[in-house]
Amino acid sequence: MFGLIGHLTNLEHAQSVAHALGYPEYADQGLDFWCSAPPQIVDDIKVTSVTGQVIEGRYVESCFLPEMLASRRIKAATRKILNAMAHAQKNGISITALGGFSSIIFENFKLDQIKRVRNLELDFSRFTTGNTHTAYVICKQVEDAAPGHGIDLAQATVAVCGATGDIGSAVCRWLSQKSGVKELLLIARNQERLNNLKNEIGMGRIIGLEDALPIADVVVWVASMPKGINIDPSTIKQPCLMVDGGYPKNLDSKFSYPGIHVLKGGIVEHSLDIDWRIMDIVAMDVPARQLFACFAESMLLEFEKWHTNFSWGRNQITLDKMEKIGAASVKHGFRPLLTS
Amino acid sequence: MPQLEASPTLDFRSEAYKDAYSRINAIVIEGELEANDNYKKLAEHLSEHKDELIKLARMEKRHMKGFQACGKNLDVTPDMDFAKKFFAQLHDNFKLARDEGKVVTCLLIQSLIIETFAIAAYNIYIPVADDFARKITEGVVKDEYMHLNFGEEWLKANFEMAKAELEEANRQNLPLVWKMLNQVAEDAAVMGMEKDALVEDFMITYGEALSNIGFTSREVMRLSAQGLAMA
Repeated sequence: MFGLIGHLTNLEHAQSVAHALGYPEYADQGLDFWCSAPPQIVDDIKVTSVTGQVIEGRYVESCFLPEMLASRRIKAATRKILNAMAHAQKNGISITALGGFSSIIFENFKLDQIKRVRNLELDFSRFTTGNTHTAYVICKQVEDAAPGHGIDLAQATVAVCGATGDIGSAVCRWLSQKSGVKELLLIARNQERLNNLKNEIGMGRIIGLEDALPIADVVVWVASMPKGINIDPSTIKQPCLMVDGGYPKNLDSKFSYPGIHVLKGGIVEHSLDIDWRIMDIVAMDVPARQLFACFAESMLLEFEKWHTNFSWGRNQITLDKMEKIGAASVKHGFRPLLTS
Repeated sequence: MPQLEASPTLDFRSEAYKDAYSRINAIVIEGELEANDNYKKLAEHLSEHKDELIKLARMEKRHMKGFQACGKNLDVTPDMDFAKKFFAQLHDNFKLARDEGKVVTCLLIQSLIIETFAIAAYNIYIPVADDFARKITEGVVKDEYMHLNFGEEWLKANFEMAKAELEEANRQNLPLVWKMLNQVAEDAAVMGMEKDALVEDFMITYGEALSNIGFTSREVMRLSAQGLAMA
C-alpha cells in the first residue's frame, strides 16, 4: 500500500474543503484549531497502471497550513508533519510521499533527529520526498513544451528560481547535462549554496530574480514560498515559458499575459482514471487524471515494489535516479502535464 | 523559511515554575487517585475482568506515589483542593453512570478520556520535564497505554451494544476535557507545554482509540472534535 501526505494551500482553502467533505466541526475554525487538529486519512485510492497492475493507497491530510510558517507557529508545523508520518506508518502504509511543504519542513527543521513519536519509532525508509520524480517531470515539461512556444533550448536562457533546493538543484543538473540549454541563471538566497551548485554543474550565472526575469526564455519556479508573488509581465521576454512547480504556486494565480505561457510544474497526467476525490479538492483541472509528481513517485515505488526512501535528504538526486524513476513513470502510464 | 527558535530554558526552582507545578502536580496525583478508585469500582461491575482491573488500579496507585515524589523533589506542595475541584465534574459523571449501571459510560470516562488526557499530558511533558520527573513519567506513560488498551478491547468486543451510549457519553464528557485544558493552559505554558500540542496529542490518541473500537474515520473526526470549537 502507498500513501500520500498532503496539505491545503491556505486557511480559507482548508475551511472550504472541510465544508465540501462534510466536516462542519472543522469548517468554521481558525488557525488555532488547525494547529491542534490531528492528521486524518481522508481518501482511499485505487490506481491502475497501463500494464494492468492495480495498487491501493491512502491520502493522509496532515492539517498543516502554510500560514503556520508565516505566523511562526513552527512547532505546530513540525508536529503536523511528524504526526502525519506516524499516522501513515501506524496504518501499515509501505511507502508514503511527503507532499508540498511536508518534505521541506522535515528537511529544514531536521526532523530526522526526532525518531520517536509517542509510542511509535518512525521508520524513515517508509517515506520519500518524491522530489526525484518531481524534478524529472519539471525537466521533461521544459524540454517538451519549449519548442511548441518557439523556444529552442540550445539557444535559450533558462532561469531556475529556488536553484539550490532539492528539486531546484536536480533540475539544474539535468538541464545543464541532458537538455543542452545555452545558459542557466541560478536564483536563490544562500550565496554559499549557489557557489557550490555552480561549481558542481560547471555552468550557470548567479543572479537576482529581478535581473534574471527580463533575459530568461524559460523560468522554472521551484522556491518554497508560503504565498505566490506578483511579477510585472511587461518586463518579461516574449515568448517566455514559465514552469511553476511551487505548492502553493510561486506565481500569483491571476497571472496571465499574452506571450507568457505558464505551465503547472511537477504535475503528471495518468493515462487511466484514478479512483479518488482528493485531486478535485486541490483544484486539478482534470482531477481523475492529474496529480503531483511527488505523489506519483510513491505510486511508482509501490508498482515497482521499491519500498525504500528513494528520494531522501537534500541534494542527493542524481541523473541516474531521475532516469530510473522516469523510466518507471513512462512504463506505468504517467506523462508530464503539457497543457496550461 | 523561518527558523525553529530554541526552547527557553526552564528554571525548575523558580517561584513561577513551582507555583504552576503545585497545581499541575496536584492534578496528576488526583488523576491517578481517581483512576485507582474508578478501576476498583469497575472491577465490581465487570467481575470476569476483576483481577485485571484490580491490577490496573494498583498500578495507578504506584503512579500516584511516583508523582508525589516528583513534587517533593522540587519542594512543591501540591494544591490538592484545586485538583479535587478540577476533576469534580468528571468525577460526578462517573459516579452517576456507575450508580445507573452504565459500564460503557464509565469506561469512556476512565479508560478513554482520563487515560488519553494523561497520555497526552505526559507525552508533552516528558521533553520539558526535570530529569527526575522525566524518568518517572516515561515509566508511567508506558503503563497508561495498557490501561487505554483495556477499555479499547472491552468496548471493541461490545461495540454494537455500546455505540449509542459511547456517542452520548462522549457528547456529555468530552467538552469537559476542553474546559479542563483551558483551566490549566497558563500553568502548562509556564512549564513549557503548549495548549495546541496538548489538544492535538489528546485528539490523536483519543481518535486512535475510537477507531480501534470500531468507529469510522468520519465518526472519529466528529466525535474527537466534539465541543472543541465552543471551548
